[in-house]
Amino acid sequence: MSRRKVELPKAVDRVLLDEETIQRRVEELAAQISADYADAGDLVLVGVLKGAFIFMADLARRLTISHHVDFIALSSYNRGATSTGAVRLIMDTRTPVTGRHVLIVEDIVDTGYTLDYLLSTFQARRPASLKTCVLLSKPERRKVNAPIHYLGFEIPDVWVVGYGLDYADRYRTLPYIAALKREVYE
Amino acid sequence: MGLRDDVAKVLIPEEKLQARIAELAREIDATYSRDDRPLLVCVLKGAFMFLADLTRHLETPHEVDFMEISSYGRGTVSSGVVRILLDLAQSIEGRHVLIVEDIIDTGRTLDYITRNLRTRGPASLRVCTLLSKPSRREIEIPLDFVGFEIPDEFVVGYGLDFAEIYRNLPFIGVLKEEAYRQ
Repeated sequence: MSRRKVELPKAVDRVLLDEETIQRRVEELAAQISADYADAGDLVLVGVLKGAFIFMADLARRLTISHHVDFIALSSYNRGATSTGAVRLIMDTRTPVTGRHVLIVEDIVDTGYTLDYLLSTFQARRPASLKTCVLLSKPERRKVNAPIHYLGFEIPDVWVVGYGLDYADRYRTLPYIAALKREVYE
Repeated sequence: MGLRDDVAKVLIPEEKLQARIAELAREIDATYSRDDRPLLVCVLKGAFMFLADLTRHLETPHEVDFMEISSYGRGTVSSGVVRILLDLAQSIEGRHVLIVEDIIDTGRTLDYITRNLRTRGPASLRVCTLLSKPSRREIEIPLDFVGFEIPDEFVVGYGLDFAEIYRNLPFIGVLKEEAYRQ
């Protein structure tokens, strides 16, 4: 694979996770998931838009087991630090999940509200099993306990962009994960 | 038994696919200026893998948004009239919009989407597709960026599915007849 985008945007403070590190970890996660679900039967990956689309693309093509890919789009009622955690469903999944194994694919978990919402929403649909695969976790920010079954990396509480994560829709498609300069978002 | 056993032949191997996607990114970079900040509109689900790879090669600052559509009725003959299940999260008025598609065959769905988006007043509207099947075309729509022209075969992989499977193959393959005639 060719190396891409070596020049850092001015808003970026430093690279937290470079492309090779991310790709290696995604490969490991895919191997673990492929092994764990090898004999399970129907597996549905549910990616959370927009942030998870790159992670989903890389994870799905490394799985050696048959699976379905589906997406869900959510939005918070109020953005920002005072978020109450109320989540609005914009687009639901299309694949029926009752009796199937569901794996939620998320780019990042901070407060845990969104993941908690997804878990209760999908649990109500009576899947055969329900697990979560999350690329990044910010444990310092957690408000509710939502289980992460497959985790890429724990990161400190800084604003990160790239590999699906954005700042006002910018920097989302950088192939690495970088911390923004504090003056950009504060 | 793996998914690959259902593939009769590899039409476009992974290396060739990835090399072409990097070239497409250069073509797109040459088309837009940095100030254009194009909005890449991905039509789900098929194009998500292409989008993930294409955008990581782009040097031009850009944003991405998603649409999910579904056709009315059943059967393989598409009227082109679609239901929008997920609309864009943002307004495209005055924006440079680049539609990102996995495959164009009859062109009917694309025709509908472009007409729909044009009513919203974008500054420009272009189309990038990974694959095109010219022999299937019923409506001519100019395609600005095309990855590969392919013959009229049953292709899967790299986002393209049959009954929701094979999407995750990292190459474009032709499905064995016994895999879809059941």
